[in-house]
Order: sequence, then structure tokens, then C-alpha cells
Amino acid sequence: MTSTATDTRSSGAAGLRSWLERYPFLPALVILIALLALNGLFSPNSLSFRSLTGLLSTYMALVMLAIAQTYVVSAGDIDLSAGATLSLVNVAIVVLMERWGGGAGAVLLALALGVLIGLACGLINGIVVAALRLQAIVATFATSIFFTGLALYVMPVAGTPAPALFWRTYGGRLFGLPFVFYVLAALAVLLYLLSRTRIVTELLAVGDDQQAAYQTGVPVVAVRIKGYLLCGLFSALSAFCLTGDTASGDPLVGGKMTLYSVAAVVLGGSALAGGWTTVVGSLLGALTIGLVNSLVFFMGTPSEWQNFVQGLAILLVLMAGVLAGRRARA
Amino acid sequence: MSKLRLNGVSKAYGATLALRRGDLEVAAGEVHVLMGSNGSGKSTLCKIIAGSVRPDGGQILINDKPVTISGPQSARVAGIGIFYQELSLASHRSVEENICLSALPVKAGLFVDRAALKARAARYIALFLEVAGEGFHAEALVGNLRADQRQLVEIMKALASEAPILIFDEPTSALDRAQVDRFFEILRDLKGQGRGIIFISHRMDEITAIGDRVTIIRDGETIETLKLSETNPATVIRLMVGGASDMPAARSSAPAVVQTGAKAAISVRNLSGKGFRDVSFEVAKGEILGLGGLHGQGQSALLRAIFGAGTVTSGEVTIGGERYDARSPRDAIRRGCAYVSGDRGRDGVISGRPIIENVTPIHYLRDRLMVARPSSLRDKAMPALEAMHTKFASLFHPINSLSGGNQQKVIIARWLIDRPDVLLLDDPTKGIDLQAKADLFALIRQLAAEGLGILLYSSEDAELLGNANRILVFNGGSVTRELTGDDRTRYNLYQAAYEAA
Repeated sequence: MTSTATDTRSSGAAGLRSWLERYPFLPALVILIALLALNGLFSPNSLSFRSLTGLLSTYMALVMLAIAQTYVVSAGDIDLSAGATLSLVNVAIVVLMERWGGGAGAVLLALALGVLIGLACGLINGIVVAALRLQAIVATFATSIFFTGLALYVMPVAGTPAPALFWRTYGGRLFGLPFVFYVLAALAVLLYLLSRTRIVTELLAVGDDQQAAYQTGVPVVAVRIKGYLLCGLFSALSAFCLTGDTASGDPLVGGKMTLYSVAAVVLGGSALAGGWTTVVGSLLGALTIGLVNSLVFFMGTPSEWQNFVQGLAILLVLMAGVLAGRRARA
Repeated sequence: MSKLRLNGVSKAYGATLALRRGDLEVAAGEVHVLMGSNGSGKSTLCKIIAGSVRPDGGQILINDKPVTISGPQSARVAGIGIFYQELSLASHRSVEENICLSALPVKAGLFVDRAALKARAARYIALFLEVAGEGFHAEALVGNLRADQRQLVEIMKALASEAPILIFDEPTSALDRAQVDRFFEILRDLKGQGRGIIFISHRMDEITAIGDRVTIIRDGETIETLKLSETNPATVIRLMVGGASDMPAARSSAPAVVQTGAKAAISVRNLSGKGFRDVSFEVAKGEILGLGGLHGQGQSALLRAIFGAGTVTSGEVTIGGERYDARSPRDAIRRGCAYVSGDRGRDGVISGRPIIENVTPIHYLRDRLMVARPSSLRDKAMPALEAMHTKFASLFHPINSLSGGNQQKVIIARWLIDRPDVLLLDDPTKGIDLQAKADLFALIRQLAAEGLGILLYSSEDAELLGNANRILVFNGGSVTRELTGDDRTRYNLYQAAYEAA
């Protein structure tokens, strides 16, 4: 609460608070740096340019999926089918590229179709959630099963390889720099442009208070559908990165990534209730999850304990980030 | 020619008729006041005009042409701007974004034109520059602002629509005098430009200050439209309440100062905390101590701190001679302290739950009740509710089915089952109708007569002058003046409130 009497003791906290308001991803950034340091401690080699590039190209898919999730979370919605959309696009492009011969033209055409498939999935979710007014969490759970079913129809068994041209490009170098850096740069430009669009402001206004946004004259249903379209688009981009990294199609690959993407959004400093989100935070959150996983590996955790330690570490990181944010904002 | 005309507009929610027959005619260049007790249908009428509620029947004409308003966007196109009583702001967006949200300026069909947005918002922010107070600027997040500042943003947002017809549904409930004065200057200006303005307020002085005509609504029906210059407040109130014109006077003469020597119910010595500093006073049993001054000068912060819901950094409080430092509201309640806030949604109502659950939580706590039978609870709840003349269908209806005034009565009733020693009232009549206010103050006086010590903060000066034995005027977090006896005049109160701290 603002008060007229200034309290010298709280001015430091107020400064931190205004910083957090401007850069809500700060706790995530601090945690990310701390995890990098820990990784370096357990395995100095893990901080080499080569292994960091590897980390980035492995977790770029999760970064994209977390960003996809961020746009629907902005409007107070959620998409539990993001991972299934990813799977569907993954198997679709792999099958199409193979069928069309695996040349440059085939790859590009397949990618274009992949984007369209992602958008179609987003549109279905948007219509079901915003226009038909079903609960987002249940409706997208249902569509996730539906999308997974389609993916299994397209490719019943995992393992069809992607054409070499595609994954060699993703994993390779361009003008001396790893390709994934160009992906990151393009993503940064895209996110910057998106942050200045009307739709993002409207998504946040809807997530803040849907009734107020409606009364203000914001076209709430259309805005929420556009949020799901953005989510579908980034899910497709996520599928491209994943395909580049795994070099194969797998109809079930995205399922377990959905909740990781939600965790990354929260870790990044966004509010799941909507109205208060940060795509940069989600990017950092996704990388944090990647670093936790690699840290568990470098610490030499026995394989049967890896899931346990992973879960514990993510829980700790979540607590640290959320508590830091809450304390500074209170 | 009329700017806006409504003929027999109606709206029902399920079995409840919110608006039976709404007629209204607003001319160009007038401020048309809508009056009616809470729940009479004023807000529904406004929302129908603004398109956020679809009417079941009736006709809307703008410039004598029938129009269909299908939603907020189509209302905007038809030339209607509105201030919503419950505000329509996005709390995580900045002031300027909120002001422009309904029509974001766009570049290349896709991007928000920041420069144009800033320029447009700045025009409306400039209107209230001197009165907006500390911490108010274009980039501030609305959620960080005080209640009065948020209300100013909603006003700016309505003004930014530049609509020929403007609706203001209780725009002044949280504003202080200077802010209201500035707002009225702007309204007069808009009137001069030939806009049609609909204005709702529960403050009679504001209505006579700004209104040209008044339309009275009772039980969802338009009763009459009068010229304010040809009528008087008594007539208007009589029309509002209908047959029951023998209402107790809310603004009757102020009670006399309580004779000294009565034991102190609560005493506060050198209390400081977030938002107030070095406050000392004593409230005798049976006394009503008023806290006056402009908004946000520490009155609410003090009351919340005493109740254990705010921070105290130094000083001490004693209740009934015993040292009292409530660490939490739970603690405060056990020690016989009661707190009623005007912000019912935040501090009072247990939304969506039956009335009986809303009356009994304090009883549970004070009686350490583990298991309760509804029938025995009813026996305890009914007298408390009846003391307030609360109108409700059954104890098991959700509290949201009541009007604002009746909800507040339920909130107050919860404190009456087990009598507290000290009652803290934090602007308790905010947004409730005149009849409910009158009931409430009749009860407050009766409670004082029974020996409670009462602290009353009110944003409406008439309520303080009419009910408090003494008034402490707050400015910048501390008490700058005490008004007793014949000093309790409107003039002294304004003067003390406005003088520099």
C-alpha cells in the first residue's frame, strides 16, 4: 500500500520492488547464474562454449514451448495440449520431409505446413476454450489426447529419421557460429516485435481482469483465440527445434514437456493467473530446468535417483524464485 | 432534442427483476442525476446503455434514432463512454495504457503506437495533475495506486472516450474534496460542449452542486424526473424511499460531548506505523470519535493497525485499561475489537457463501465453537440482523444476492452477536444507499449509548459532523487538529483538512 509517510526502512525494498516490476525475470536470472556456477563447480568442462551450445540446442525446444505457454497464460488461460501439438508437428514434418525426398525445397515446404498445423491446433483450442467457454485446463487436456491420437495415426512408432540436411543444419554452424545462435537471435527479434503489438497488450488486459477488459470494449473472445494461435505457432517452432535436436519423429515426445513448459513460465516470474507475464523469464526458466537436469547428471547422481533429485531441485528452484519475487513485491 | 432516450427498458436475472421499467431522457449540455437506493436498478440501467448488459426489452434512442447496442464496442461506436462503479482497470498495466485501452492507437495495423498513446493519455492526466497526489504518473502501475487514484484513472479513461454521452456511476466515492472539485470543473466544461452526462452519487451536496435534472428510480422503475433547481433534498429522498418517509435523520444534530470522567474504552499513546505517526487519543465508553481529513491521510492505516492488520512500529494501545497489542486480526477479535471496512469485497464479504455463514464467523472465533447446529445459530443471528433492519429472503441465500447496503448490514451484524468493547469503522458507508446509512448510524449511536467505544472514519464530512462527539483531523499521517463542541463545523473541518501539514 502506498502511504504518504515515507519510511526509510522500506525504501530499499521499494527500490527492489520497482526493479522487479520492470524486470520480473530477475530472480530467474539470478537462479540461472547460480546454477551455471554450480555446474561449473561440479564439472568445469560444462561451462565450455561447446557444451553450452549443446545445452542451448537441446533445450531450445523447451524454451519455445515455454514461450508458447506464456502467451496463453498472459490471458489467464493455459494450454495442456502444447506438448501434443509439438508431437503432432514433429511427426508430420518428419513424415513429409521423408516423403518429399528430403531436399531443401521439401524441408522448407514441410516446415511451412508444420506452422500451419501448429496454428490449426491453436485455433481448435481457442475456439473450444474462448468461444465455447469450456474450462481451459480440461478442454486443452482433451484436445491434447486428440492431437496425440492424430500424431499416432501419422507415425504409429517412433524412430523415423529426419533428413540429414535438416538436423545437420540445426546442429551445425553458419558463418562460423552455431546455427542455434541464429535461432536465438531470430527469437529475440520476434519476441521484441511481439511485445510491441496490440495483441500482447490486449492479452495481458484480458488476463488481468476479463470482465473489466470486456467492459472496456476489448474483444475478449477474439483476443483469447489469438493467444492460442500464438501458442500454436510457437509450439510448431518448438517442434522444429526438437526435430533438429533429436533428428527423428516420435509421436509421444512432447507429452511430458507440457508441464515442464508451465513450470518454466512460473519459474520465469509470470503469474499463472494471467495479466503479469514475461517471455524473457520463460526463456530463462526453460534454461534453468535444462541446467537443473544437467547438474543432476554432472553431480553423478545414480540413475535410479535422477528423477527424484531432479524433482527436488526443480521444487527448490521454484520455491526460491517465487519466494524472492513475493517478498520483494509485498 | 434529446441526446439519449430510454423507453421502458427492462432486465431480469433469473427470477429477479433488476430493472422493471427504466425510462430516461438526457438532453445535450446537461448533467442528469440518477437517484435511487442501492439495488434500485441504477447501475443496471447504466450498464444497459454501455452495452455490458443486454436488455430484455425496451427501446434506446440516440439523437432520436433507435439503436441496438450489442456490446461495449457497439456502445462506444454509438458514442457512449462510461465510468464503472466497480472500475474496469487492469491492475498490472500502467496508467496510460489503461486510459487508452479501449482504443489503442495502432501503427501498421499491428503495433501499439507508443508515442500516440503517451500523448493521448497525457492530455487526460494533465487535467488532474495538481490533485492526483503522490506517486501518480503515466507509467505507474494501476495496482500500486491508492483507491482514489485508481478512481481518477477510471475517470480519465471515461473522458478519453471523448463520447458525446458520458455515464459516471459513482465516480466520487473515494475522491477527496479537491479531487471532486476538479472533476466538477471538468464536468461543467463538458456540459458547455453540449455533452449529455449521466451522474450517480450518494452525496446530496454533490448532486445539488453539479446536477441539472434528477431522475428517481425505485424498485427498478423510473418514478419521476425533476429539475433540481425546483426541488429540495427532502422531496428527492421522499420519492426515493417511497411510502416510508419517516426515516431517521442521518444528519440530525450532532450529539453532545460525552461528559468527562467516563472510563476510557480504548486509549492510544504515541502510536506510529506505516502511514501514520505519533497519534495519541482516548475514546471514552459511549463515545464516538470521528477521524476526519482528506483521503489516505492515515485514518484507515491507523484503524487497520489497531486491528492487527497493519504495521505498528512504536507506541502503545490499551483497551479497558489493559495493554493491548494485536499481532493479527484474530488476536484483536479475541480481545474485543471489531472492524468494519467500507471495502466490503476485500475485507468483509465471504463471497458466494450463504448469509448465515457471513454473520457467524466472529461468533465461531470468540466462542471457540467447534460444532454448531444451524437452528441455534439462527437464534443468535436473527436478533443481530433485525437490529440492522436487514432485508433478506432467507439466511441460506448467498450474500451476493443482497444489495451493497444490505451486505454491509450483514457484515456489521456479525460483530453484534458477541458484543465487542471497541468498534473500528473504516468508511463503513462507502457505496451504500441513504436508507441503509440512516439505519447504520441509528445503530452506531445506540451501540455508543450502550457503552461501546467507537472510532469512525468517514469520507463524508456530514457523517462525521452528524455523529461524532469529537473529531480528530488527520493530515499527512498525524493529527493536526481536534474539533470538539461548537467547533465541529463544516468550515472548520474543511479548513483543518486542507491546511498544510
